[in-house]
Amino acid sequence: MLALTRKVGERIVIGDNIVVTVVSIKGDNIRMTIEAPKEIKIYRGEIFDAIAAENRQAAVSKDLTELDILKTLQIKK
Amino acid sequence: MRIESTRFGELEVVEEQLFSFPYGIPGFPEEKSFAYILHDEESPFSFLQSTTEANLTFILVDPFAFFKDYEFVLDDEVAQELDMSQENPPQVFLIATVKEKVADMTVNLLAPVVLNRVNRLGRQVILYKTEYSISHKLFPDGLPKEAVKGGK
Repeated sequence: MLALTRKVGERIVIGDNIVVTVVSIKGDNIRMTIEAPKEIKIYRGEIFDAIAAENRQAAVSKDLTELDILKTLQIKK
Repeated sequence: MRIESTRFGELEVVEEQLFSFPYGIPGFPEEKSFAYILHDEESPFSFLQSTTEANLTFILVDPFAFFKDYEFVLDDEVAQELDMSQENPPQVFLIATVKEKVADMTVNLLAPVVLNRVNRLGRQVILYKTEYSISHKLFPDGLPKEAVKGGK
């Protein structure tokens, strides 16, 4: 892993087409802009982590016979 | 094709049921192939079963059966990647989580699963809509009554 120290206004260039700029620092909050091709998806780390964690919880392996209740529910598409 | 499922046992699936997820699914980046399994023709519930990991099954929910206002804009890049078009609209599902009881089931509104049934590509899309929760209760008022029992 690479760790870099940057000042406000300084940039980090990743590959040929991603530029991260530090815009401002106020206390604990660092604001940055990211210029990247549209196909590069950018997420706040905690949101991606939360979705991965929810998916791991959603993965059902054991036979939840209780799920058969779903069949008896009169919910129509 | 035969696949193994802890939930369903040995399953025979046809090509039309097999979907490729080129990016895997968050939390399961290595899982790139799933079979889409209907619960029942009329049911808003269905399943995604990994074709390689018998233990991995997701419960899918048709969002529009429960949230008629559910909507989002699919990024052009994602639409292109999945080869969506007006003639070939995406099919949208929510992944459900059942922690203990079915009545407490939650769905992930923020990260719907989008399927293209023609070229059989799929992806879990992460939306930028902060008002959508990743664990939204599906039955906030408890399970619906088992209606029309005995024709009443």
